[in-house]
Amino acid sequence: MTGGYWDRFGRSRSLCHRLPPALKLLLTVAVVTAGLCVPVRFWPVHGVLAAAVFAGHTLARIPMSYLARRVGLFLPVVAMLSLSVPISQGFAAGWTIMAAILFRSSLSFLSVLWLVNVMPFEQLLVTLRRFRAPAVFVAMLAFMYRYSFVVWDELDKMRTARRARSCCGGMRFRWRQSIQLIGMLLVRAMGRAERVHGAMCSRGWDGQVRFLPDSRECE
Amino acid sequence: MHIPDGVLSPQVSLATGALALGAVGYSLYRLRDRIAERTIPMTGMMAALIFAGQMVNFPVPFLGAPVSGHLIGGVLAAAVLGPWAGCLAIALVLVVQCLLFADGGILALGANVLNMGVVGAWGGFAVLDVLRRSLGGGFRGTLAGVVAASWLCVMAASALFCLEFWLTLRFDPSPDAAKINMSNVLALMAVFHSVIGIGEAIITGGVVSFVIAHRPDLVTVDAEANGPARRSVAGAGRFIAVGLIAATAVAAFVAPFASQWDDGLVAVSEQEFKARASQESQTFVFADYEVPQPFGDGAPSPLWQRVSVSLAGVTGVFVVMLAAWLFDRGLRRRLKAGGAT
Repeated sequence: MTGGYWDRFGRSRSLCHRLPPALKLLLTVAVVTAGLCVPVRFWPVHGVLAAAVFAGHTLARIPMSYLARRVGLFLPVVAMLSLSVPISQGFAAGWTIMAAILFRSSLSFLSVLWLVNVMPFEQLLVTLRRFRAPAVFVAMLAFMYRYSFVVWDELDKMRTARRARSCCGGMRFRWRQSIQLIGMLLVRAMGRAERVHGAMCSRGWDGQVRFLPDSRECE
Repeated sequence: MHIPDGVLSPQVSLATGALALGAVGYSLYRLRDRIAERTIPMTGMMAALIFAGQMVNFPVPFLGAPVSGHLIGGVLAAAVLGPWAGCLAIALVLVVQCLLFADGGILALGANVLNMGVVGAWGGFAVLDVLRRSLGGGFRGTLAGVVAASWLCVMAASALFCLEFWLTLRFDPSPDAAKINMSNVLALMAVFHSVIGIGEAIITGGVVSFVIAHRPDLVTVDAEANGPARRSVAGAGRFIAVGLIAATAVAAFVAPFASQWDDGLVAVSEQEFKARASQESQTFVFADYEVPQPFGDGAPSPLWQRVSVSLAGVTGVFVVMLAAWLFDRGLRRRLKAGGAT
């Protein structure tokens, strides 16, 4: 994950990206809620919502290939989950519920995907602060986001090392390897957290969470 | 494991959201005196770790298909950080997964935090703490507690999801919703999750035994570091939590028998019920999971099918106990060989 962001398209300058962050969040929640509240038999409403979501993606210049890949990964999981309803009824009932779940969750997934790709994470942190989220929680979220990249890089290196040193082995061996990988990662991460805390203390950390003014944080 | 939007009704989403918000708020409140300590870096780092740890794949043999599982991490977070910071860590992971990867619904975030964070960290820590104390507080107690808590929490989370889904169906006016036999859904979920729970128990147990061998101070009961966390779940609250977790897990097994449970949902006439029962015995789905009927021939009886679902679960319990014992043995051998450094 070296030198990149997870929200790949979050930092362009389209019309959607320039909307106020709070509006983007509220729009997404509104679309998801509307899709959830409108019964399936009013399907034209869902059609309009889907069209709006696709229009949003187009305006934000999010490539269709990216959307197709994400939906392709998402659909099998939801299909399995929703299929469990008719399966558990011996295939006698639950088909309309399954269809409703599939349709609504795809629509919601696409709208959240829009939000993810038009709102960089640091903007989200500022928005959460504006919505009066507890400062400690936002600080932890910022901390987690920052160190996800570090831990991810570490995991990547350890995986490379593992590949370089092992070629074969049964399932038991691979499970043990993966468990040790997570265990080592945990030991290192906690060690790093302690060092970071030491560094914070040496810079005068007193338990008070402080934020920069919005304008500087957004840029 | 993440509930996407569109599964739960708006009412249920709202209620679970409020409960999750309350739980996160309470966790923050309990941590208020320790903010100046290591809480923020430790919790943030733990969340980052669980987030990365969930990307490590564990191959699962499933009809030759490339299926893999991964860590869930609620009990792991609680074992290292205690219940309050552990719950926050899982909530952070879920928020980031939702708002950075669109993984898990934005309205279902509350339900996800409730099922994984609150059940996993609060409930998991309660189970872990009770077992650890009853087994003497050593490595063996910690390990047994972690393994049991992981399995129980996965089962409890699946039972909780079924409760949420049942409430969703109650708000659904469509005729199809009225036809759903909820105990069947619960049974299917229980079977799947008893297997998932075994995987989670093995992974969490393995990771904790690794941590005990390398940094025992992180997970063992240290009076200074874990003091407030330990005291916080003392007394009645702990036993209520353990009782709730155990009850939901047990409910998952009793459910196949309690088919009258959902009859309040819809007044099914006796004839309809009989027709459905005969249909079930022909196209029952647990054919692949049930324990083969030891006597008689031809189509297995409906009673046996229900017994076998529970048997599969009880087998799961024994496998988990066996796994705990194996970890304990392996750990002691390692401690003997290399010393706990």
